[in-house]
Amino acid sequence: SDLRFSLTAPLCLLTLLLLPLSLGAPISPAEPISQAYSLALYMQKNTSTLLQTYLQYQGSPFSDPGFSAPELQLSSLPPAAVSFKTWHALDDGERLGHAQGAFLALTQHLQLVGDDQRDLNPGSPILLAQLGAARLRAQGLLGNMAAIMTALGLPIPPEEDTLGVVAFGASAFERKCRGYVVTREYGHWTDRAVRDLALLKAKYPG
Amino acid sequence: MALFSAFQTTFLLALLSLKTYQSEVLSEPLSLAPESLEVSIDSARQCLHLQWSVHNLAYHQELKMVFQIEISRIKTSNVIWVENYSTTVKRNQVLRWSWESKLPLECAKHSVRMRGAVDDAQVPELRFWSNWTSWEEVDVQSSLGHDPLFVFPKDKLVEEGSNVTICYVSRSHQNNISCYLEGVRMHGEQLDPNVCVFHLKNVPFIRETGTNIYCKADRGDVIKGIVLFVSIFEETKDFSCETRDLKTLNCTWAPGSDAGLLTQLSQSYTLFESFSGKKTLCKHKSWCNWQVPPDSQEMYNFTLTAENYLRKRSVHLLFNLTHRVHPMAPFNVFVKNVSATNATMTWKVHSVGNYSTLLCQIELYGEGKVIQKQNVSVKVNGKHLMKKLEPSTEYAAQVRCANANHFWKWSEWTRRNFTTAEAAPSEAPDVWRNVKSVQGHCVVTLFWKPLSKLQANGKILFYNVVLENLDRPSTLKLLSIPAPANGTELTLDQCSYQIRVTANNSVGTSPASVIAVSGDPGNKEVEEERVRGTEDGFCLSWKPQPGDVTGYVVEWCERPGDPLCDLQWKNLGPDTTSTVVSSDAFRPGVRYNFRIYGISTERIPYLLEKKTGYSQELVPSDNPQVLMSNLTSYSFTLSWKDYAAESQPGFVRGYSLYLKSKAARCLPGSEKAVLSDDSICCKYKIDNPKQKTFVVENLQPASFYEFFLTPYTSVGEGPQGAFTKVTTPDEYSHILIRVILPMIFSILLIMILCYLKSQWMKEKCYPDIPDPYKSSVLSLIKSKENPRLTIMNVKDCIPDAIEVINKQEGTRKSLTETEPTKPTYLYLLPTEKSHSGPGPCICFENFTYNQAASDSASCGHVPVTPKAQPQLGLLTSSENGPKALGKNYVNSLGEIPAGETNLNYVSQLASPMCGDKSSLPTNPPEPALCSEYKTQMAIPMGLASPPSITLLDEGEHDH
Repeated sequence: SDLRFSLTAPLCLLTLLLLPLSLGAPISPAEPISQAYSLALYMQKNTSTLLQTYLQYQGSPFSDPGFSAPELQLSSLPPAAVSFKTWHALDDGERLGHAQGAFLALTQHLQLVGDDQRDLNPGSPILLAQLGAARLRAQGLLGNMAAIMTALGLPIPPEEDTLGVVAFGASAFERKCRGYVVTREYGHWTDRAVRDLALLKAKYPG
Repeated sequence: MALFSAFQTTFLLALLSLKTYQSEVLSEPLSLAPESLEVSIDSARQCLHLQWSVHNLAYHQELKMVFQIEISRIKTSNVIWVENYSTTVKRNQVLRWSWESKLPLECAKHSVRMRGAVDDAQVPELRFWSNWTSWEEVDVQSSLGHDPLFVFPKDKLVEEGSNVTICYVSRSHQNNISCYLEGVRMHGEQLDPNVCVFHLKNVPFIRETGTNIYCKADRGDVIKGIVLFVSIFEETKDFSCETRDLKTLNCTWAPGSDAGLLTQLSQSYTLFESFSGKKTLCKHKSWCNWQVPPDSQEMYNFTLTAENYLRKRSVHLLFNLTHRVHPMAPFNVFVKNVSATNATMTWKVHSVGNYSTLLCQIELYGEGKVIQKQNVSVKVNGKHLMKKLEPSTEYAAQVRCANANHFWKWSEWTRRNFTTAEAAPSEAPDVWRNVKSVQGHCVVTLFWKPLSKLQANGKILFYNVVLENLDRPSTLKLLSIPAPANGTELTLDQCSYQIRVTANNSVGTSPASVIAVSGDPGNKEVEEERVRGTEDGFCLSWKPQPGDVTGYVVEWCERPGDPLCDLQWKNLGPDTTSTVVSSDAFRPGVRYNFRIYGISTERIPYLLEKKTGYSQELVPSDNPQVLMSNLTSYSFTLSWKDYAAESQPGFVRGYSLYLKSKAARCLPGSEKAVLSDDSICCKYKIDNPKQKTFVVENLQPASFYEFFLTPYTSVGEGPQGAFTKVTTPDEYSHILIRVILPMIFSILLIMILCYLKSQWMKEKCYPDIPDPYKSSVLSLIKSKENPRLTIMNVKDCIPDAIEVINKQEGTRKSLTETEPTKPTYLYLLPTEKSHSGPGPCICFENFTYNQAASDSASCGHVPVTPKAQPQLGLLTSSENGPKALGKNYVNSLGEIPAGETNLNYVSQLASPMCGDKSSLPTNPPEPALCSEYKTQMAIPMGLASPPSITLLDEGEHDH
């Protein structure tokens, strides 16, 4: 089903991306919020599968049952963890800006992890397909968020290169760790995006 | 910038050496020491690269020198490596030397120093060591960064089974660090407080994507690790080269496994030929083509080198080209001139060099098997004649070739199919006949068996039947019967013919099969013998015939009972007197009949013997319908004449009769037998199968018997059936019948007579008794208007009972009182208890008056009928008056119900109720009835109408 999705997903996401653009600036932000929320919910269903598939292919200790290394972080990837008070106090611009930034970084990181795994695990099309699908979904969500920001009259932050040049010298083990952090944070950010969008959905009912 | 500085250094060195050269002539020679020692690191290969130069060399001078290099680890005193490196040194030449460390260079600080000496015969005076250079320190750790933990070496690629040293460098002193290889903890040695080294020996291949080795601190959850890529690099096997056309050499090999190497690192193959010095990089992993040069190079020496990131492996092959020729498959292969028994195969071969000969192998296949194999030497054109073929048969011929002088390999086969031509059938058809005489004609049915493929030599198209009348030999008659018929029926005017049958295909005619029929069909009466069949068939034997016999034929039906019968026969030679007839068609329980014929010299068959038998006998399938007759008290006769013993699935050898009786002992001629239901009975055995009646004797009269008859074969008895019940008649019953029947008849006759004469009989035997009520006297009395006059009835008198009505004055009370007045009765004779109350009156038996009364019923109480009750309305309505009393009271009053003859003799004594007038005001005259004395009247029995008046009648009338 992942492979099948990888074929249909680009089409779906393309329509999701094109929809707000073709309609121009919508009068109400409710529609793009609803679309983004649906996509985020859909993404949320697959994040744990992606993480488990990823770990399974990396060997010990990653593939050991119950593996978790929360201290592993990437300086180039903003962590999703935030105190509830801070999160709740965010205004629409900050909220969407954080998510926008995170998913932009995630899109680039997922590309990097996909390339790493093509090297490290060339014989695992399932993992590569799942990583590719996750990247496309993250891009789709980015597009939807841009549409929301347009609808709300917020400025869209410019795309930045979050990875820089340091990423290429990593060893195989570092790349495995990096992939772990990216797939993990992808899940955390998706969870957070679902909450963000649920909040916005409540704020701007259709 | 670096280039510029190097250039500058060289320039200065040149100046310096010029100076030295000048001083050399003048003063003592200077020692040649290595200078400008620089050490660089290749972390990935764990190598230290040293470069230095010797400055004090003269211009254009070239000297052999030896350099002693010392490498120490951690501290300079800990020298771990000393090596002398000899080389030729030129002036200003930068010398290089590398050293690979087993320990990753990041794990410890290394220091290098060296010294040099001239090792040249030209200048023996300079053969002494120079001074050591200063220690060059290599410390990678200091440039690692600020991470708390490092593991080295990174991404190392090793061969399976090699030894690897791993270390971690920790920045924190407090933390305990533990390291794991695929989850298994490793134990290492502490190099210094921050560095621990692990020596892995004989590393295994775990997976292509590498082996994870990681370390983590107790606190802080730091994980750092490396991936060790272990590769398997096996030697290349089965390296071989050959040519098919002398233009291209094709070299093949079985690549050894190179697991563990990621795609960009997999092995490559290079083919090198030493005589020509040519080299080619192979594009494929298991084969490579090599162009043979036109200058006819004969010998080749190939080296195949497999190489991967870690190492190389080579295999060699030396051969003569002409010895490695694998010819192409033959072409232009044809099968020509195909006759019934011969065919010629022709083909061409690709030439293999000049003057070379090929050896070709031809195989002939018939019905999937190799039947001929031949080798032929061929230059260019091949030809082979295949003989001894069967007509009209499919064959396949194939040819392959190899180098005749230096056999290397056979070419592929080239195959052709062909079918040989037809030939005339080789054998006469096997013919048999059946002769019947129908209405004076002779009906001959001919049968023949189809020829086998080998005999037919082609497709049989028709059969020719030639009839020759033996009486008139000149007349011939020809019949042609198209195939695939296997027989024909001929109606002949008479039965003296010779018949010849031939089978024909498109080429010719088979030899004729001759059979003759004579006027005498030969079906003479011959005793039928029984034969016993076995699983293998029927073994038949017959007496040899004294006369000239050309052979014997055994004939039978495979489906006896079927009108088509499926006639079979078997031809046997004249010396044969026995044969075994076997067939898959033989079924158990089926009777097969065999006829054995002798064939005379005139080809006329005559019946010799008849045999019959079962391939396997079975128990009888059904039991006979048994008729019972002649039943007497002591015997009965059973018969089953209709039973078809011949149609049973076995020869009926006799019959078993089972007889059940109550007698414990079996009668003579029978024995005890236990049936399948465990019941015991007597069994008579009838050994003669032709006996179809049986008399069961010595029975008991008037006894119950059950019998059951079943046939038996050699295998066993027929199916268990129902027993027939029979009861022998009583010995005297017939006598009794002779007496009783006439008696019954005569009684019936009398009864009929009596009925017819009933009026007369009635008058004679029981004349009508006159009824006084219907008498004319009654009307006479009525006319006198005396209602009190009654007719005395004799029936209702209780003889000898006296009713005393005792009326006590003192106890007289009203009826409403709780203590009722009770009349007192005195019985002279005990009356029946059923009488609920005393009689109404006192009766005196008076035989003088009433003789008839003594015979009649007792003079008892008559229950009060409902009809009488309305008369007692007052009494019953009284609340305090008990009913019993009322009844008694009424009864005592003599209230006699209607229709009953009543009181006829009443005493003069007053009734107890008579005085109780006050309570019965409605019926005042009745007490007086009892108390009154009536004149008794004697009425003779014969009186037609006695005078009678009843109260009841009145009551009824009142009512």
